[in-house]
Amino acid sequence: MAHTVASFDEDLRQISQLIRDMGDLAGSMVGASTKALLNSDNAMAQRVVSDDAIMDARQRELDDRAITLIAKRQPMADDLRSVVGAIRMAGDLERIGDLAKNIAKRVGSVGVSAAPRDLSHSIDSMAQLVLIQVHGVIEEYTAGDATALAKLRNDDERIDVKYTSVFRELLTYMMEDPRNITACTHLLFCAKNLERIGDHVTNIAENAYYVLTGTQLPANRPKQDETAMSAPAA
Amino acid sequence: MKPMLSTDLNVAETVVEKAKIEVKNLNFYYGQSKALKDINLSLPERSVTAFIGPSGCGKSTLLRVLNRIYELYPKQSAEGQVLLDGKNILDRSQDLNLLRTKIGMVFQKPTPFPMSIYENIAFGVRLYEKISKAEMDSRVESALKRAALWNEVKDKLNASGQSLSGGQQQRLCIARTVAVKPEVILLDEPASALDPLSTAKIEELIDELQADYTIVIVTHNMQQAARVSRQTAFMYLGELVEFDRTEKIFTSPREKRTQDYITGRFG
Repeated sequence: MAHTVASFDEDLRQISQLIRDMGDLAGSMVGASTKALLNSDNAMAQRVVSDDAIMDARQRELDDRAITLIAKRQPMADDLRSVVGAIRMAGDLERIGDLAKNIAKRVGSVGVSAAPRDLSHSIDSMAQLVLIQVHGVIEEYTAGDATALAKLRNDDERIDVKYTSVFRELLTYMMEDPRNITACTHLLFCAKNLERIGDHVTNIAENAYYVLTGTQLPANRPKQDETAMSAPAA
Repeated sequence: MKPMLSTDLNVAETVVEKAKIEVKNLNFYYGQSKALKDINLSLPERSVTAFIGPSGCGKSTLLRVLNRIYELYPKQSAEGQVLLDGKNILDRSQDLNLLRTKIGMVFQKPTPFPMSIYENIAFGVRLYEKISKAEMDSRVESALKRAALWNEVKDKLNASGQSLSGGQQQRLCIARTVAVKPEVILLDEPASALDPLSTAKIEELIDELQADYTIVIVTHNMQQAARVSRQTAFMYLGELVEFDRTEKIFTSPREKRTQDYITGRFG
């Protein structure tokens, strides 16, 4: 049902449009940064770096609009949840942008031939999992599907499992040949960044779930990142 | 596994601890027209309950049943039960004067009597109690202090109550109510005619008074209901639609009608 004050609806619409825009941008930054990494494409990496400035600007715009809306309209119930939720989701999306930029910045350091074909494949499939999550979370939020969001949040487990296997693989390459260490360390950071992006997606899913339902998902979810147990470095 | 917070459990906490007032199957009529339809709710002791809803929803009517003030008007009748500490106040044997010392009321427009500030408070006390001048002085002082008005009027207790500002007059009315030592205080839009600063003082006062009194407030200002009350009842067309903890009502109400009203979507 529409608000009695029509401009209130317009204010809310603009905020949710910004979340969708930021979600789209986050997806394309994550996709482009890993593609740039795997193909050693410096130009594409550079575009990701400059996209991050757009992401930051969107987040500031969203913050301004949300705070103005709270001051002007004193939203209640689902309106209040959606505005506060948008502020928090924008924070996570902005961090996803930062992490994608961080991957992009390593493209030059990793170099052309360093990543063995098998490893490229592992990182690529990890990136694909992350991309599905980034695109999915905004889609399900826009569609208002709380059940799908709860499932999506648990699906982060798959990224954690993948990260653990990439971590072990990289360790093996480094032990095989110390000349791999520099490149593999950079790749390890990239994999860690992808894993962190997955965590931000779960935060977004949790917020979106709360916005839609008014209840919180249970605090515990499956955790499968075992690298901390196998090596203190991670 | 670490223990879950209560917020994780998604179970509404029980609203009522010890009920001061219990409304049971209450119907109310203005002549032929039914203004309250089968209302059931419990108001916990020493706590603030807010009634919200659009004009004509019955929230003021419900408030007016709680001290039977409606009986001042012809052709108004209530059926059902309103239990104050377990005793039905709608019963014919209920002494109305006694009831109204137990249940005080403050109205939307400040209504000081055309007499001095001191007499505004002493007048009501004298109706029910015979106390010495010294005792009366201390009663007036403590009532004015409770109503956060003492510092502003202590040097002019003989000035007319009507010479005070609107916000001060309203606090004088609250002092007058408190002076007869009620158990329940009913507030009907107590701050709607006041500026923001006076409103804030009234709200601060309500917050302090709930330590000793059971308070019921009717308000159109939803932010005010959200700020001052522990539980909120949303009423619509004479029905009690939803009654829950105030945080729950204003962040995630169960009923769509509640949500539509508090978010400003009522057509």
